[in-house]
Amino acid sequence: MSAMDWQAFALSLRLAGVTTAILLAIAVPLAALIVLGRGRWLAAVEALSTLPMVLPPTVLGFFLLVLLGPRTAFGRGIAAVLGHPLAFSFDGLVVGSVIYSLPFAVQPLVAGFASVDTALVEAARLLGAGPVRLVSSIFIPVARRSFLAAIVLSFLHTVGEFGVVLMLGGDIPGATRTLSIVLYDQVESFDYAAANRTAAVLLGLSVLALAAIYSTSRKRGSEQRA
Amino acid sequence: MDGGPRTPVPKQLFAALLPLLVLAPLGAQAPLRVAAAADLEPLLPPILSQFERATGIHAEATYQSSATLTAQIENGAPFDVFLSADLSFPKRLIEAGLAGAAGPGDSAAPITYARGTLVLWERKDSHLLPPSLDVLRSPALNRLAIANPERAPYGRAAVAALKSMKLYDRLKPRLVTAENIAQAAQFVDSANADAGLISLTSALTPTLFADGSYFVMPRDLYPPIEQGAVIISKTGQRAAARKLLDFLLSPAVQAELAKSGLTPVR
Repeated sequence: MSAMDWQAFALSLRLAGVTTAILLAIAVPLAALIVLGRGRWLAAVEALSTLPMVLPPTVLGFFLLVLLGPRTAFGRGIAAVLGHPLAFSFDGLVVGSVIYSLPFAVQPLVAGFASVDTALVEAARLLGAGPVRLVSSIFIPVARRSFLAAIVLSFLHTVGEFGVVLMLGGDIPGATRTLSIVLYDQVESFDYAAANRTAAVLLGLSVLALAAIYSTSRKRGSEQRA
Repeated sequence: MDGGPRTPVPKQLFAALLPLLVLAPLGAQAPLRVAAAADLEPLLPPILSQFERATGIHAEATYQSSATLTAQIENGAPFDVFLSADLSFPKRLIEAGLAGAAGPGDSAAPITYARGTLVLWERKDSHLLPPSLDVLRSPALNRLAIANPERAPYGRAAVAALKSMKLYDRLKPRLVTAENIAQAAQFVDSANADAGLISLTSALTPTLFADGSYFVMPRDLYPPIEQGAVIISKTGQRAAARKLLDFLLSPAVQAELAKSGLTPVR
């Protein structure tokens, strides 16, 4: 029986943290563009940003393995910039996770931004607010709950990510062996006691995060009622 | 009579079809359900077709890692026969009283139906020399792909071979571990790993055979990969299951296994 793998736990948290930060930097402007922009090509942008949900994660991982590998110019270019190939490295997992979790950051933000009262948006525009000011002073504060949801969903989805890590990671302790890989290994090795402990940690983390998000949105709701 | 209220047609149809829906499964003979180790996927389908032509018994196979299939059988999966990639998983089921080699009470050991062969595989455009034991000793070998040694029989054999060559400690930081042998092959085929220790059955599949070349690892470097079969205890088709095992051990099928990269046992 193996003890709780805290190295994998720390790695999963680091991966999820880095991924969430990068995702916010991408998803907030992307969601604002989708909501504020005009033109048919925006539908294509929105569809593309949702697409990672369609592919089975191991298949997505396989495509990334090929795309980021030394057989494509793209893969060779990245390896030249970073000094090492992306596959089987922490950086490679970050790239995979950002793509894999993109819909979970973009979708809540689009829904939240779209629900902001258009009168408010028009008023801000008349007062001379540009897109950046609109997002920072109107969208994020008003759609705070969606913003929080995007953070929590991206984070948890990355913690629980399995197929992409399995294909792209190579199961290297400290670099690519995440908690969900450890959990899968434990189940497949019939080490159910250890698997239960690992799953309990994962579930506990998720319950805490979700409770946090729902309690803040609840607080806000009761303030509005008061 | 003509003027009476008419029952809508769909209802009549439904009433007519209902007994058929209930009876249909009883009329057809249930197929023999085979739980098969993933390394059999390239070669088992034609063998099962031949089996059906020879005996009239239709068999359907599900391919998974031996560990996954074992967990599924332990939790009541409706299989009749289990063709594992090693002996440890069938033995585990026998010890739990869930499977036997021939029938209830006769549960001494699984039947070995083939032996696996470990090969070192590289892409043809690899920067390394053609596959040989020297490649494993080469400092230019940065990433070596193996299957998970905790549970994949070929992964276990790969680690055993590296340990026999006294290379394991040196190569350990350069190992990338795949979930199964097919994924280990993908790591190499996509050029993300330089070489891989995989099964001969994988190396002989059309894609990998076209993309790469292999070196058969000397058999004295690792314990034999014995692939064992058991009949699941609660099967309702013991006679058919028995026939399938006999068919697998027949000279013609054993010769076919040899062509696909397994070593015959008869």
